[in-house]
Amino acid sequence: MRIETREEGGCRVVAIAGSADVESSAALREVLMGAIEGGAKCIICDLGRTDFICSDALGVLITAYLKARMRGGFVRLADPQEHLKDVLATTRLDHLFEIFADVTAAVGGCKAKKP
Amino acid sequence: MPSLSPDTDNTYPWIEKVLPTRLEAIREAEGDVMERLENLGYDEDHQFAIRLAFEEALVNAMKHGNRMEPSRKVALAYRVSPECIQIRIRDDGEGFNSACVPDPTTDENLQRPCGRGIMLMRSYMDTVQYACRGKEVRMVRFRRSSDGGATP
Repeated sequence: MRIETREEGGCRVVAIAGSADVESSAALREVLMGAIEGGAKCIICDLGRTDFICSDALGVLITAYLKARMRGGFVRLADPQEHLKDVLATTRLDHLFEIFADVTAAVGGCKAKKP
Repeated sequence: MPSLSPDTDNTYPWIEKVLPTRLEAIREAEGDVMERLENLGYDEDHQFAIRLAFEEALVNAMKHGNRMEPSRKVALAYRVSPECIQIRIRDDGEGFNSACVPDPTTDENLQRPCGRGIMLMRSYMDTVQYACRGKEVRMVRFRRSSDGGATP
């Protein structure tokens, strides 16, 4: 798994490429928690190049979502491919996360929600 | 550890391994399974589903069964044929009752960061059964006739 972060439209975009498996979850946790603790309010996980996700990595996304929300922020998901969409639907996490078709739409959604 | 293989088939034999309780060991075991699936022409949907269930079951065995104790092992057996994949995984732990695991998809559990492994295994495999008081899980996923496999 490779993680790249960038700023886009005032949001922190965390692009996850490859497999978000049990071995990679710690690295993902470090990046997301680091962003939240560093003050990022709007975090977008770009899943466009994520080909696999396990329950451990899903747990990291949920923890980040809860932590960001406690600090008045957001974690949004963007561009999940078919297999990931299916996992999100199967786990009903598509009811927890706001999921956008792409990063641009997710940034727009964050802007609309900013106070 | 006693053998997990129920029988022998020279064409598509059961593969047996004893894994150390280390998460890194999962990737190596997974690599062999995925290679066999690919060689037999299993499509991407099958490969994704089997990889997910396989990883979840091994993680459960190591984390929840063996509690990541290095002295404990995980016994693994699998058989990949053109019709289906069969997987058996047994840990060295105390066992558990799978019926007592809360449903992670209910509204009250949706925000819990853990507890989705068994549900994912059940969702992505055709059968998931526990034996030996929960220490052993047996899973099967059949290939469908629509993707080049035989109808079970």
